[in-house]
Amino acid sequence: MQKKVLMKVENVSKDYVMGEVTVNALRGASFEIYESEFIVILGPSGSGKSTLLNIIGGMDLPTEGKLFLGNEEINKYNDRKLTAYRRDKVGFVFQFYNLMSNLTAKENVELATEMCKNALNINEVMEAVELGHRKDHFPSQLSGGEQQRVAIARAVAKNPLMLLCDEPTGALDYKTGILVLSLLHKINQQYKKTVVIITHNMAIGDMADRVIKMGSGRIVEIKKNDAPIPPERIEW
Amino acid sequence: MKKLDLRLMRMLRRSKGQFISVAVIVAVALCIYILFSTTSTNLENSVEQYYEMTNISYLTIELVRIPQGVTEDLVSIEGIRNVQGRISVDVPLEVEDDNEKVNIRLISLPDDGGDINKLFTEQKAGMGPNDNDSVILLEQFAKARNIKTGDIITPRINGRIYRLKVSGIASSSEFVYLMENEQTIMPAPEKFGVAYISEDFAQSVFGYKGSFNEMLVKTKTNVDIDDVIDSLEQKLDKYGIKKIIKLEDQLSNDILKQELDGIEMMSNIIPVMFLVVAAIIISIMLSRIVNNDRMAIGVLKALGYGNNKVLFHYIKYSLAIGLTGAVIGISVGILLAGPISRYYTVFFNIPLAGLKIEYSYIFYGMLLTCIFCTASGLLGARRVIRILPADSMRPEAPKSGKRTFIEQVTIFWKHVPFSWKMVIRNILRNKKRFAFLVLGLAMAFGINTVPLYMKDAMMSMFELQYGEYQKMDYTIQFTKPQNKNVIIDLNNLIDADKIEPRIEYPFELAKGWRNMTVNVIGVPRQTAFHKFVDMRGNVIILPNRGVFITEAIAEELNVGKGDTITIKNFIPGKKDIEIKVAGIFRQYLGANAYINIEAMEELLLEKQLITGVSIETQADLKEELKDAANISAVNSVDDMYRAFSEYMDLMLLAIGFYMLFGGILGFALIYNSTIIAISERAMEFATLRIMGFDKKDVYGMISRENFVMAGIAIIVGIPLGAGMIKGMVESFSSDIMTLPFLLSPDTFIQAAVATIFFVVIAQLATLKKIYNLDFIDALKSRIS
Repeated sequence: MQKKVLMKVENVSKDYVMGEVTVNALRGASFEIYESEFIVILGPSGSGKSTLLNIIGGMDLPTEGKLFLGNEEINKYNDRKLTAYRRDKVGFVFQFYNLMSNLTAKENVELATEMCKNALNINEVMEAVELGHRKDHFPSQLSGGEQQRVAIARAVAKNPLMLLCDEPTGALDYKTGILVLSLLHKINQQYKKTVVIITHNMAIGDMADRVIKMGSGRIVEIKKNDAPIPPERIEW
Repeated sequence: MKKLDLRLMRMLRRSKGQFISVAVIVAVALCIYILFSTTSTNLENSVEQYYEMTNISYLTIELVRIPQGVTEDLVSIEGIRNVQGRISVDVPLEVEDDNEKVNIRLISLPDDGGDINKLFTEQKAGMGPNDNDSVILLEQFAKARNIKTGDIITPRINGRIYRLKVSGIASSSEFVYLMENEQTIMPAPEKFGVAYISEDFAQSVFGYKGSFNEMLVKTKTNVDIDDVIDSLEQKLDKYGIKKIIKLEDQLSNDILKQELDGIEMMSNIIPVMFLVVAAIIISIMLSRIVNNDRMAIGVLKALGYGNNKVLFHYIKYSLAIGLTGAVIGISVGILLAGPISRYYTVFFNIPLAGLKIEYSYIFYGMLLTCIFCTASGLLGARRVIRILPADSMRPEAPKSGKRTFIEQVTIFWKHVPFSWKMVIRNILRNKKRFAFLVLGLAMAFGINTVPLYMKDAMMSMFELQYGEYQKMDYTIQFTKPQNKNVIIDLNNLIDADKIEPRIEYPFELAKGWRNMTVNVIGVPRQTAFHKFVDMRGNVIILPNRGVFITEAIAEELNVGKGDTITIKNFIPGKKDIEIKVAGIFRQYLGANAYINIEAMEELLLEKQLITGVSIETQADLKEELKDAANISAVNSVDDMYRAFSEYMDLMLLAIGFYMLFGGILGFALIYNSTIIAISERAMEFATLRIMGFDKKDVYGMISRENFVMAGIAIIVGIPLGAGMIKGMVESFSSDIMTLPFLLSPDTFIQAAVATIFFVVIAQLATLKKIYNLDFIDALKSRIS
């Protein structure tokens, strides 16, 4: 079956000017993201994977290169259009969850959905992340894994085209990490959402449809995984 | 509710203390604004209604004598609608305590009560005395002396005591502010009263058969009043016009209007100052919140919230504080406006024209609050726009740690103790915020200086006027001009150390089209009682020819030293004279011109005639001159001093009120900035604690910063306070009163003590927050 292209990344580079030094964080990255695909971007810290994710997610603009979503050229978006893109097309999951501390779990999800037109039913999503019974708790009353599940629910409930996850297990222990990965897997399967995870944990690559390996700001290798294993079987 | 608003609500709830302390400032601002602007409008309406009800005269003309028939002819002058003649003479009143000096103005009323300046009583305007032995007494005076209808009053007219029965008590629109003359500082209704007598009685007892000495004129609307005055001057010249007083210059009305202006000024200036301080605090609070919320802002942006939405989220915080304060302030202001308006109308003795709530004031108050809050919100939260979602996920780069300019001075810096080094660095790294806080605190200090200055100024105004510039114990006025030999008689009659002749007459001074009627006073060149000091502080001596005028007159006529002015002589058969301005002198109460007495006799009057004397004596002249004929008034400086002291007590109350305002501002500034500093620098303080500093050391550091700030604020506040005082001097000064512009160190020292007092209080209020700071927790909290 020929997979449909969701996003096309063409020769994207990013330079940061820090005082008198210019850092080439990302150099000439090109690849495609398919619909309802599960991608893992692998690389050590400083390899440019976060920069790449930020650019895909419309949180940052490339210095060079093009990004296409269908026919739309995202790198030409102004601030307002970029905001709309982040609002409607992308869902973010951060390493440190970044929930609003003074909003409950459910309210944190609602914060995201309030602006979206095609948001999913919040209660359903809360059930899907298995937090139906804890939805009225504040972040400080939740464990790290639970907080990350709220963050995932927040990203999913907006009903975006893709879920971008920045080291989603980075702050979690092994068991909780696996739980979060299974959840992301479930969302990929059940809701047919494209999921992009960045991580330095090689083991996670085993569950992906494709693995993009990065080093020193470049894409080193793109590997298609013919038989991804379910997250429950991953070990590190 | 939108979840972002919910977040805001919870944010507000967590910072209750700060929220309340800033909302209180806004509330006070709006309360004062609504209270005083509403009161001012209510009073203006009441005064207008009262004037209309009693048909107040637009012109009052004082003359030597005018036949009754001429009065009636005046209606033919274009623009005049109505004229009413009357006799008005001040006489002493006999009272139980012989030591008390009470004057009463006897004013004649037509039998039907007249048409102009109708008396007012219990919602009913217009009444007259029924016969020759009865009077209608002015209400303020009757109240102050506890005189009731049916009581007898005993004025002394030309040395003879008359027993007159009080047939009624009423108030008058021309004596809303009951003052004897321009030289009186404040109303003393127990010392000066007005009684209305029948025309017949007045004409016979004062020797004005068939004539009057005062005229009330009502002009038609839409006429140029100055044209009418010109026509009147021509027509009445031969009857000796002493003064033509327009309603706007009429003493009671003038002071009343000044009082209203004062209320209005208060309703404008103080609220703006309060709002400025509130805005400063809010913007600092917000910039701290935005800083703490960096990551949350990044997340919001990542979720798809646009810049404006996020910015507005924080501006709402500012608006929430402002509008809460505004709603409370406006409500309290409206609640108080009724009683305060009523209090004022009772104080002024006028019927209240009904209480009205001006919705426009509420609207302006809200608008002003919104503008200030939005501006401070933008100022404090504008950094939101610059936060990039991708950057915000990374920890913030540490603040650049350059050496401050003071550190370049190594000789000095080497000797600064470590704890002070941190204080100095911290101040210099937050220069803008520090400057704002200093400005706010300086303003609080400035507000404190004004009432303290007022107290000093009033006191020294009185002491300068009656201790330095005019040293007599008494001035005596004769009922009519006397030959100078009267001094010899007086010397035999009383035990005086010194007696000086004086002439005092109201004349019109003119230069071109500008003119002003003032009392021109003649005193001997080598006067022992008067000291003239020019604007530069030099003592000046009256020349043989030439006139000294006060600064207010010089300004009104637009003349300077060396210019020539005209003195218009109203005395029949005497010519107007041209005279040179020989000097401009300081006088704080009243506006007068002084001339060498001999020149005055020769140029303006008859030789050897005087109208009064100034006396220095230990004796009680009031008692000694009780039975003397031809004396219309005995004025004692002691009496004035007593009345003045009473007035000063009232002043102290107002001072306390103002100090409280300044205090609230100072408190809110220090309290909030300290709370902000604690939460901002929790990590720094925690590190210090781990290194072995104890709570006291940390507290000491914050205290040091606050006191350095207070110190600088006081220094900055001195010129600011001086400026406010200058503004006060200018807005308070009028023809009647000039406040001396004096900056005494005491004023500033007292204001500084008050400011520091409030800083200490605020500092103590934050003590708990510092002591409760959990340093382990603070160290862990990288993520809020």
